[in-house]
Amino acid sequence: MSFLKITSAHKAYRTPEGAMVHALNDVSLDIRNNEFLTLLGPSGCGKTTLLKCISGFEDIDSGEISLEGKDLKGVPAHRRPFNTVFQNYALFPHLNIADNVGYGLDVAKVARKQRDLRVEEALELVGLTGFGSREPNQLSGGQQQRVALARSLILRPRVLLLDEPLSALDRKMRENMQIELKMLQDSVGITFVFVTHDQEEALAMSDRIAVISDGKVQQVASPTEVYDEPANEFVANFVGTSNIFTGRIFEKQGNIVTIETANQRKVQAESDRFGVGDHVQLILRPEHLKFTPGGNGVPDNCIEGVVETCIFVGSDLHLHVDVGKGRKAVVHHRHDRGNADEKIEAGSQVKLYYSPRAAHLIKAVVN
Amino acid sequence: MLDKILSSRFWSWLFKGYGIVFLIFLYLPLGLIFVYSFNANSINMAVWTDFTFDWYLTIFGGANSQSEFDAAFTESPERIFEVVRNSAVVALCASTISTVIGTATAIALQRYNFAGKKFYQALLILPMIVPDIVLGIALLIFFVGAGFELSLLTIIIGHTTFLASYVFIVVSARLAGMDTTLEQASADLGAGPLTTFRRVTLPQIMPGVVGGFLLAFIISLDDVVITYFIAGVGSQTLPIFILAMMRRGLRPQINALAVLLLAFSFVVAAIGLYLRSRKT
Repeated sequence: MSFLKITSAHKAYRTPEGAMVHALNDVSLDIRNNEFLTLLGPSGCGKTTLLKCISGFEDIDSGEISLEGKDLKGVPAHRRPFNTVFQNYALFPHLNIADNVGYGLDVAKVARKQRDLRVEEALELVGLTGFGSREPNQLSGGQQQRVALARSLILRPRVLLLDEPLSALDRKMRENMQIELKMLQDSVGITFVFVTHDQEEALAMSDRIAVISDGKVQQVASPTEVYDEPANEFVANFVGTSNIFTGRIFEKQGNIVTIETANQRKVQAESDRFGVGDHVQLILRPEHLKFTPGGNGVPDNCIEGVVETCIFVGSDLHLHVDVGKGRKAVVHHRHDRGNADEKIEAGSQVKLYYSPRAAHLIKAVVN
Repeated sequence: MLDKILSSRFWSWLFKGYGIVFLIFLYLPLGLIFVYSFNANSINMAVWTDFTFDWYLTIFGGANSQSEFDAAFTESPERIFEVVRNSAVVALCASTISTVIGTATAIALQRYNFAGKKFYQALLILPMIVPDIVLGIALLIFFVGAGFELSLLTIIIGHTTFLASYVFIVVSARLAGMDTTLEQASADLGAGPLTTFRRVTLPQIMPGVVGGFLLAFIISLDDVVITYFIAGVGSQTLPIFILAMMRRGLRPQINALAVLLLAFSFVVAAIGLYLRSRKT
């Protein structure tokens, strides 16, 4: 039986200006038990609306949300076996940490002794033993985050919903919390539905990612699949950076296809799915584009260009290469600083090449 | 350039001086009442003769050193106690009822949208703007027309009509500053609407509720104009009573009474400020 199932959910809002906005436009999603699923998308794509519809703070206009086959329609938020970690943590300022964490148990009228024990356990789980008597405003952002987690997990929900919980933390803290959250999810064995607009976060933590845009699910797949085999142009551009060439396949040898773009450029890719005459988009990740300053040992199907900008980001050099005819290619180059010969700067002539196996083809939308 | 001139020694002294003069302007009259209330001269209070507690004692029924002349103008402790009790009953009842109504209205208006909401809000604030004398006459006409006998009850009802607006405004401001996700978090953790109100909403808006109550209490306590119209024969409140005393001449006992009223108001206001500062 499916666990948490969303079937053709629709939800539309009317903005104060009177325009209709389709926050959810035929969303179907099958969330598995014990998985870490991330809803990834730009702001305003409908991911938070979806989360609120699951938690019960908002209702869908049509469609169905069900848990283990039981429709959740009409079940108010406080009766759903889900708990939420809010973006701003939403800790109760008038209660101390122990009372915040124990709130759900107090509401459920759990006996004092057991309640205190479970609060202790929950605080220990998130590494805040001994913080019980402090006030929320005495804690750092990361600590408040943990309290919010403990407060939700103490009720042993079937699903934990997390609404961009890491967005208020600084980068270092965020990376630590990513690891901790993933480990926590493994140890408690609860389904996590995590909302974020940060693709790195999604790739790092998830078992599966649902990429959402314009109220629609664009792709649901594992992080590697989303990255290596994006389902469409939106996913290719939103998750990581992509070089995209659009054109028609005019030759196929074995499983290597050659594509001619509108600019008469010829690019190659490996594909079983597409044949001669298909309109396709070739997606190439920046780290798969290699380059050489020119000269020997260069494959013949390389692309010539001029380095326009060269950005140092620590481990890599990010190059924007003008490949002519108004097109630019993005190259992420792991540079070798021991090699004094390797000198790249704006204005350098380079030849770009890639392995056809690294390219991914998707069907082009022909107008 | 202007900065330099203003920060010069001369201007700095001038501004400080202005500040002090302004404070004197504000508080000198109150200070005079305070001083006069201890002046033994009962004929002309502006001429200091001797220090005395007599005027205070007459209020509490402990003085007997008065001349016959003074006694004729002095109200009995029993009478004063009666009007103070009337005032306390009215202020407590009216501010309690208006706190309940004002708070409930503020929560409802913050939470729900309906056609004509803005208009409704305007109507709620209107009683604060309507001139007291108009409101007083209107209430009188209403009570007489509806067959009410003027009593403490009519004063309580009358005060509630405009005090609820004050509470509404104070509580609304507090609600506007409240994080609405707190209520969602409470529901999320399994609390029904009533539990959420009791455990989250009410503690969060409590400073506003208490502040609104104290404000209503103070306003009710010293309202003269509206009360004047709707007070029955046997239901005088303290300010109306003082006004009646004044008609027979500005007696020293009035000063003592005024100082006590002032001190009480300060205490109430101080409690309000303390509660507000404790939980932000």
